[in-house]
Amino acid sequence: MTPPDIALLATVVGSIVLFGGAAAIALGWAFRDGQFDNFDQGSKSIFGPDEPVGEATDAFPGINVEVEEATAPW
Amino acid sequence: MPVMTAPEPVRHDRVKSAAERAAIDASCRGPVLVFASSAVFWLLMGSMLALIASFKLHIPYFLTGSPELTFGRVRMAHLQSVGIGWASLAAVAACLWLMCRLSRAELMYPKMLYLAGALWNIGVFLAVFGIIFGAGQSVEWLDAPPYAPPFFVAALGIVSAWTVAVFRRRREPHLYVTQWYILGAIFWFPWLYLVAQFTIFWAPVTGVVQPIVNWWFGHNVLGLWFTPVALGSAYYLIPKIIGRPIHSYYLSIIGFWSLALFYSWAGMHHLIGGPIPAWLATASTVGSMMMFIPVLAVAINHHMTLLGHFHRLRYSPALRFTVFGAIAYTLVSFQGSLMALKEVSKTAHFTHYIVAHAHLGAYAFVTMIFFGLFYYMIPRLTGREWVSSVLIRIHFWCAAVGITTYFAALSIGGWWQGRMMNNPDIPFARIVMYTQPHLLTRSLAGLLLTTGHIAFAISFVMNLAGWGKQRSGGPTLFVEPQATYPPGPPSL
Ligand code: HEM
Ligand code: HEM
Repeated sequence: MTPPDIALLATVVGSIVLFGGAAAIALGWAFRDGQFDNFDQGSKSIFGPDEPVGEATDAFPGINVEVEEATAPW
Repeated sequence: MPVMTAPEPVRHDRVKSAAERAAIDASCRGPVLVFASSAVFWLLMGSMLALIASFKLHIPYFLTGSPELTFGRVRMAHLQSVGIGWASLAAVAACLWLMCRLSRAELMYPKMLYLAGALWNIGVFLAVFGIIFGAGQSVEWLDAPPYAPPFFVAALGIVSAWTVAVFRRRREPHLYVTQWYILGAIFWFPWLYLVAQFTIFWAPVTGVVQPIVNWWFGHNVLGLWFTPVALGSAYYLIPKIIGRPIHSYYLSIIGFWSLALFYSWAGMHHLIGGPIPAWLATASTVGSMMMFIPVLAVAINHHMTLLGHFHRLRYSPALRFTVFGAIAYTLVSFQGSLMALKEVSKTAHFTHYIVAHAHLGAYAFVTMIFFGLFYYMIPRLTGREWVSSVLIRIHFWCAAVGITTYFAALSIGGWWQGRMMNNPDIPFARIVMYTQPHLLTRSLAGLLLTTGHIAFAISFVMNLAGWGKQRSGGPTLFVEPQATYPPGPPSL
């Protein structure tokens, strides 16, 4: 084997170990930490009292979504 | 589907939570704006280079006087400018801002990130101008001259370390799916980049292994860097904007892990028909087929979340761009999986059809989602509304019509180009002539896209310069308070 071959082999094997190992550790940690215990709660973690579920948070400048929706033809 | 309603939040909680969100946004404002504004600069630069490259393909005598502006150099410079410049800098801005918000943690020591921003920009500058002045290297996606990569490596190291540091200081115990995607991306990209640099340039592997490493890298840049950041952004913005949690959180987690598992297998589909071991290409075809799982998971989830809320697309600029991008993700991935079949590749490979697919992915999906993110993120960082709805609408329609035309013209032209190239009875010159109208249409689409970019850049600069209506203090909602606005029909 030439030095480049060895370098390549080391990179490939190293990558598999590092990469696969990291994924396995991350998945194991997530299970232990209870990340997959309550999916419903997880999906709501991006909302808060200031931006609660049920409230739109973006509009073109000057547009009031609530007024638009109340007066929309549909 | 029952309509979700939350109990009326207590005013005190609301104010407190808004103040926390505002403090978090303020902590990352400087670095995120540095990355975001330089991204916009390289988008404009990349558009100019793209237009030159595009026009040259149907007007062969256009700008022939200087070696700096030959097609080969300008094309590579375009790819570096939009790939390592625009899309990557925007991805870093996204990672930093989203990670701070989702971890509910402030960014510490922002000065190091200014340094990272400066290093990254020096790297892009050296890459783009190095290529134009003839120092490019003929390795696609890694065509920057040898003096540019150290700047990227240093900058990437800082960005990854800071993103992880924010994550470690998190106050929110739950990891939202976007954080999974970001953590994946900031772990994968430096690793891919270093391994590719190492095995292609520093201790070069020889022969056929070189394109194999090259396409392992090229493919994974798309799938394990741009894709996860863009998907992460969509997973945050769509529910957040319409105020409804993601339809199936379970499916989103499955989507993440199956992407992590299958995408990195698929790189060799770029070399189908090339002189590589047949089993490698076949394994990649299988990996490409497996990609239907994460893609379907994302598509179903986004669609079901939006169901009943499509009318919001009229009101929210960020949602428009993001949903356009999310739909394009499904399309590009379905198309990609089919292209990985040998029968399809036989016709599509080496034609403009691939360039159409490339822009369906890099533009219609990734770029559009980043536009959406910017429309949401920048006003919250500067505390100012966008100054003009008209500019945003110009941007959206130029981008949407432009990229659709771009894709249609090159897909049709490219497919027939491939069919003709496989027929030895058709003279090559005739095929070249056949593609001309398609290439001209692409240039016109490019002009439209560039017009949109200019409108976007004007909005962006005006916002930074303090032109928009001020919105500091209260909740970060960018929706007018109740009943202060006379109702009227929304325009498109
Ligand atoms: C399941 C997902 C996908 C699959 C299976 C796939 C498949 C493919 C295949 C087979 C090719 C090679 C075509 C050839 O040269 O014959 C290709 C090229 C390309 N794809 Fe995809 N694709 C996918 C998603 C994406 C996404 C999400 C993006 C953008 C972010 C993207 C961007 C590109 C680009 C830029 C090229 C051209 C590369 C070059 O030649 O420089 N693809 N894709
Ligand atoms: C102003 C709009 C744009 C125009 C007119 C344009 C045009 C072009 C042209 C002419 C090429 C060379 C194609 C060839 O080799 O035959 C190209 C390549 C490429 N562009 Fe763009 N582009 C634009 C914007 C973008 C943006 C914003 C991105 C996203 C990040 C992007 C990503 C790419 C990629 C990945 C390739 C390599 C494709 C491949 O090798 O198959 N482009 N573009």
